[in-house]
Amino acid sequence: MNWGFVIANAITLACIYGTLAIGLSITWSSLGLINMAYGFIFALSGYGAWLAAQHVSANGFIVMAAGILTGAAGGLLVCALAFIPIHDKPNFTVRGMIATLAVSLVGNQALLWYFGPRAKSLPQLFGASQTSIFGVVMTADKIGAVVSSVVLLSAVLLWMRSSRRGLEIRAMMMNPHAASIVGIGVRRTGFYVMALTGGLAGLASVLLSQTYYVGPFSGITPMVKGLSVALCGGLGSVFGAVIAAALLGINEAMTSVVFGGQYVLITQFALIILILLIRPRGIAGILDKAREA
Amino acid sequence: MTATWKNPISAFDPEKPVEEVVTNDYLSPQSQWDAVRAYNVPTYEVGRLRYYHKWGGHGARLWSRLRYWPTRRRVLDISGEYNAKTLRRQKTIEDKRPIWWVLALLALAIVPFFIPENQQNALLTAGAVFGIYAAINLCWMLIIGTAGIYSLATYAVVGAAAYGTAYLSIHLGLPWWAMPLIGSIIGLVFGVIIAIPATRLEGFYYALLTLGLVELCRVYVLQSREFGSATGGLFGADSYIPQAWPQHDQLMLGYYAGLALMILALFLFRFVNGKRLGRVLRMAPEKREAFAEATGVNYRAARIQVFLISSLALGFIGGFYSTHFRGAAPNLFSFDTMLLSLSMLVIGGLGRSEGAVLGTLIVVFIDRVLVDWGPMRFVLIGTLMLLVVLFLRGGLFGIKEQFRAWRDKKKSENRSSRAEKGGEMLPEEATETPNKDIIYFRRFDKMQRDFLKKLITPELIEEHRKRPLGQHSEALERVLTYFRRQPLNDKYAITVIEPFKSYRIVALSGSRGVAPRLVEDKTYGTPDEAYHALFMRRVQDLLES
Repeated sequence: MNWGFVIANAITLACIYGTLAIGLSITWSSLGLINMAYGFIFALSGYGAWLAAQHVSANGFIVMAAGILTGAAGGLLVCALAFIPIHDKPNFTVRGMIATLAVSLVGNQALLWYFGPRAKSLPQLFGASQTSIFGVVMTADKIGAVVSSVVLLSAVLLWMRSSRRGLEIRAMMMNPHAASIVGIGVRRTGFYVMALTGGLAGLASVLLSQTYYVGPFSGITPMVKGLSVALCGGLGSVFGAVIAAALLGINEAMTSVVFGGQYVLITQFALIILILLIRPRGIAGILDKAREA
Repeated sequence: MTATWKNPISAFDPEKPVEEVVTNDYLSPQSQWDAVRAYNVPTYEVGRLRYYHKWGGHGARLWSRLRYWPTRRRVLDISGEYNAKTLRRQKTIEDKRPIWWVLALLALAIVPFFIPENQQNALLTAGAVFGIYAAINLCWMLIIGTAGIYSLATYAVVGAAAYGTAYLSIHLGLPWWAMPLIGSIIGLVFGVIIAIPATRLEGFYYALLTLGLVELCRVYVLQSREFGSATGGLFGADSYIPQAWPQHDQLMLGYYAGLALMILALFLFRFVNGKRLGRVLRMAPEKREAFAEATGVNYRAARIQVFLISSLALGFIGGFYSTHFRGAAPNLFSFDTMLLSLSMLVIGGLGRSEGAVLGTLIVVFIDRVLVDWGPMRFVLIGTLMLLVVLFLRGGLFGIKEQFRAWRDKKKSENRSSRAEKGGEMLPEEATETPNKDIIYFRRFDKMQRDFLKKLITPELIEEHRKRPLGQHSEALERVLTYFRRQPLNDKYAITVIEPFKSYRIVALSGSRGVAPRLVEDKTYGTPDEAYHALFMRRVQDLLES
């Protein structure tokens, strides 16, 4: 067993799942919406990137941009269908979750109907070169995935810290009711947030498609993993999601080395359940300050 | 508008022809009063009270004695009373749902005999699937609706029981009748494991966690060699359907077995939701748990009890599933199965058994019978689900209630929008005014002005222009009388600048010693012109008021 290889793999996966988890986390904390259509956005942006690679250019930058833009468009679609009509209605949290599930059902089946069940593969975005870092052989796509997700995530977090729109989103995360009182438009912010998180899903989709394929249902497993990372880190906390992603990445690496690959999910869920039993609102979630749905 | 008015004074001078003027049709002042006093809230035949058909005769006591074992429930909730007018005895069925249930179940029981020959296979298979899914959904409804635990791990329990019993049946030769029983034990064990986090986790954290658990089961089954990763499922378990029978009989047996399973699940739902546990949990709805706890309701224990009972039942259904299909397949754990099942619950309406059954019927019909549609049928199901979530509060069975609420809202909106009812004064102003006559005077004045506005027509103005003074038609006379009766301040008058040559319109000040003020620069050459101009100003003021 090559330790370096496993750790590099785990870091790559942790970066990708962290991206997904942060998207879910921001959506939940600012809008109060559990976006179960995230898997659909993921698959949709995969197809968007694939179409761009087929018809426009196989240039890595263009393919990635196409994926992110399709993801943002998918986020806007979900927002218009599942957030805008019911966000002020009674029982929004349950209805929002069911509405996003319905969007996901319709969307995934529409993808299946339009593109067919055969999986598509994206071109290699970062080339096929290999480098050796500290004696560990890293392929270009892994380095590219880590670097691009870290760069884009930090850009998003910086934007959220320093811009006017980011301030609005953070205000919504702290207290949506008070934010709407001081004049932050809930619907407008909803569109920003969903476009942003959709873009993150698009990024994760393009990066993950370097190892896996693009298919109509390829988004379900990453969404479940992203959800568990977000859950473990505490819904609504970006910092917690980062810690949880790192923890689960390490767990994945350790389990594959010690027990074998098929036990990864079992230990992962055991770990998540353990963490949640100790801290019911996740690692960084504070019990009293959590969003009241 | 083309009535003619004959000047009655013309009779004094019979030599001349009778003077005739084109004027308005007669409009009764009563019409305005009637319009204002009309009750213009839309009303419905039965109104706010619910309509119950009254059955004649005695017998309400007999119905109330008729209970069914093992509960003390009545078969039908019938109340008896005397009719207040005729003093005859009459009965009212308070709750007709048992009748609908019996009719629907009878229809399901006899429908296989009316299926056309060529569709029998598809429809009977779909019917059996409907029975099993309805049973699963009823148990899930107990967890989500009654216990209020957002568990998405239902299919993890069902699938675990199905896989476990299929495995035992294949390797240890477990007979078919033991499979649901063993399955319920497996279900209970799984239920206990899944229930542990539910004691600490709140709503959505738990939902997401259970979603992960289902995914874990799916991946495990897909990878494990013992559970048939190579064959795409675990098949070859013992079945209650004899292989030797002709295919039609096998299908019929499967259909009725599924129906029986659904009826068992319905009874379970009734006994959990409609009895003590259900009562306790209705006391502690979401966000009111603290109050329930303070009043001494141990809702946590009740939730866990309901969860464990449902898990037991789900395990039973899982065992039945594997004897019915002679095995289990990994798509039991797939995200889509969970989604479809959730759509069944949502379409019918969360929290009610009839919702679970109807939703299952609709979705299974679309899914299993309209197979030719391909992926479009899932799009149809998803669209239905989306529409129900966006527009309905309680699914299809909540439509009636929601419509009534909407109708009541509209009624009260209409009632409050009739602001004229309060007169020409704001409510605060009206309570502050010492002289209440003013309120009634203003209300009357407004009605009068509204009526006079209807009288102002080109004919009337033309009549005044021709003869500002003298005998007028009835309508013009009414208008002029109203104008003359106005209070003095700001009343228009005519001042003579130079007799027979120049006249102007002024407005009186209304107080002694204060001169009138000019209202316009125009001068008029004759008194008649000035009279008419003054009339036009007043008409304009009236129409603007």
